[in-house]
Amino acid sequence: MRKLSKFITVFCVVVLTLALLSGCGQNQANTPSTSTEGESEGGEIKIGTIGPLTGDVATYGISVKNGVEIAVDEFNNENGGINGKKIVLISEDTRGDQTEAANAASKLIERDKVVAIVGGVISAETMTAGPIANDAGVVMISSSSTAQGVPEIGDYIFRNCLSDEVQAVQLAEFAVNELGFKKFAVMFTNNDYGLSLKNAFEAKAKEIAEVVGIETYNDGEKDFRAQLTKLKGANPDALYIAGYYTEAAKIAQQAKEQGLDVQILGADGFYSPDLIKLGGEAVEGSIFTAGFFTDDPSENAQNFVKAYKEKFNAEPDMFAAQAYDAAMILLTALKNANGEGGQVLQQEMAKTKDFPGVTGVTSFTETGDALKDIIILKVENGNFVKVR
Amino acid sequence: MQILTVIMINSILAVSLNLVTGYTGQLSLGHATFMSLGAYAATLLTLKLDFPFVASLILGAIVAAFFGFIIGVPTLRLKGDYLAIATLGFGEITKNILLNLEFTGGPMGLRGIPKVTNIYIATIVLLLVIFSLNRIMSSRVGKSFIAIREDELAAEAMGINTTKFKILAFTIGAFYAGIAGGLYAFLFRYINPKDFGFMKSIEILCMVVLGGMGNTYGAILGALFITLLPELLRIVSPAIAQYRMVLYGLLLVIMMIVQPEGIISGSLLDKIKPKKKMEKGGQ
Repeated sequence: MRKLSKFITVFCVVVLTLALLSGCGQNQANTPSTSTEGESEGGEIKIGTIGPLTGDVATYGISVKNGVEIAVDEFNNENGGINGKKIVLISEDTRGDQTEAANAASKLIERDKVVAIVGGVISAETMTAGPIANDAGVVMISSSSTAQGVPEIGDYIFRNCLSDEVQAVQLAEFAVNELGFKKFAVMFTNNDYGLSLKNAFEAKAKEIAEVVGIETYNDGEKDFRAQLTKLKGANPDALYIAGYYTEAAKIAQQAKEQGLDVQILGADGFYSPDLIKLGGEAVEGSIFTAGFFTDDPSENAQNFVKAYKEKFNAEPDMFAAQAYDAAMILLTALKNANGEGGQVLQQEMAKTKDFPGVTGVTSFTETGDALKDIIILKVENGNFVKVR
Repeated sequence: MQILTVIMINSILAVSLNLVTGYTGQLSLGHATFMSLGAYAATLLTLKLDFPFVASLILGAIVAAFFGFIIGVPTLRLKGDYLAIATLGFGEITKNILLNLEFTGGPMGLRGIPKVTNIYIATIVLLLVIFSLNRIMSSRVGKSFIAIREDELAAEAMGINTTKFKILAFTIGAFYAGIAGGLYAFLFRYINPKDFGFMKSIEILCMVVLGGMGNTYGAILGALFITLLPELLRIVSPAIAQYRMVLYGLLLVIMMIVQPEGIISGSLLDKIKPKKKMEKGGQ
């Protein structure tokens, strides 16, 4: 028993020391460490990012961080910050781990006193970091957490991304209203991506047109003739492939061989130069949705691609583009809120309407989910062309 | 505060694994599994059946203990590496079942869990766990656990039913891990099967090995160290923060070379308080 009470004493001492340590750290963090110029205190507004910068999903996190960095640079150069206060970015690593994401969010909020956070990158991160930000009244915008329930965490949580449901629904609408197709066949890859695309597409297409056949396949398969023969019998006038480019290219080729010469439709899994390399003639004319188009002719998008290439010597991907847009939406709202965080910023965010970004025009729904016109691409003469 | 609470929860996990691995000498690589069972059971009871916090926490732990028992019965007849592999397999099975069941939310996990856990609750639970563990270890049961670790054959010869006591240790360990899982779920308000994978089990094992096998306080120190280090490195400076995972690994390697028995090891205790040890032996 003596051992136990002794332990409790030691334990309390350790806890107190820790509390003390974290107190000291706070003072240190208040002196700006990231700013290069000798600015006076309070001369900056901090925003944070959280995402995996190490670990097996690091590529997504790094793209997001880069995208946000470009946005902050651009914003600081153009406006000189807000009321003369420069925007400073603090990026935290989560390893793609939800516990670390929660820790990172509380660190950014409690220690760095950020006014807003861009993140998390994968859905699980946003699920644990979101409630912390929401409770603290800090606006958080995720640019890539597609899971259900993310914007529903709370009023302070926003999302700007291409969800599987939205892109499938918008493509179905586009195919029926603009292209005039009536009978759809669907091929989907049997995983969560293919399944949620297929479910959304099927529901919408059934509502406004007709679905004549649905077949499934697994990633890595090479022979789709059996499924295609069945679908041919149903006599569709368009084929929606909910999957990735490798299989999509083969399906398109084999469909042509089988005499199923119909319009090919797809989702963002199509967007890769390899689609054209593998599919050749067969994918010519294919139409699909995409989160971001590198050769987008709009000035906005070209400026972003140029800035990204200059700074990071790489082509921006969808994650970087969506993060850039998310950060820009946030910074614009922050400017309207006069640099104030909390409720003022939350209200300005919710007011965002028809924001012209590089990934399409964005508004928010009541819950804080992005409502956007998704980019639709077409393969023409062996190149991607934007049709909307 | 968030981190302190996580330290408490990790300490419970480390302490409970220490009972199985440190005291009883059975290497388990599936400890996070019991944590996930406790977390899921507690969450489902609260979300679907509106159980109060304390009741779901305890029932969650009982579910975890029950599975600990079920798994313990066939696998604890195995020894050493074979037991480790069996617990590993059990962990993967549980993860995949949770991933594919409808009512556990599949890969989406469970969300909308109320936030109840705070630093006080976590600390109280940790102290209760330590207290009860101390009582167990100073009882006949506890001595049997240690006897099994030291020499299973000799323990058997002394009339200890080794299988029974091994299963008991496993079940109690699973119970505590289930409590930790429940606290975890009510702290983060979101659980997902991938979070209780193999890596989490290894992390808990690291805490125990680093802190010192077979020592409750060592396990807590290990949990403190492993949880705090990445966060401290994050704070020190942005330049170091970039390489914090490398540094973290390096420190673990150095620790194992310099002090392979863990921070608080039996031999270290002997050196510091040889008298007390003798008193105890004389009792």
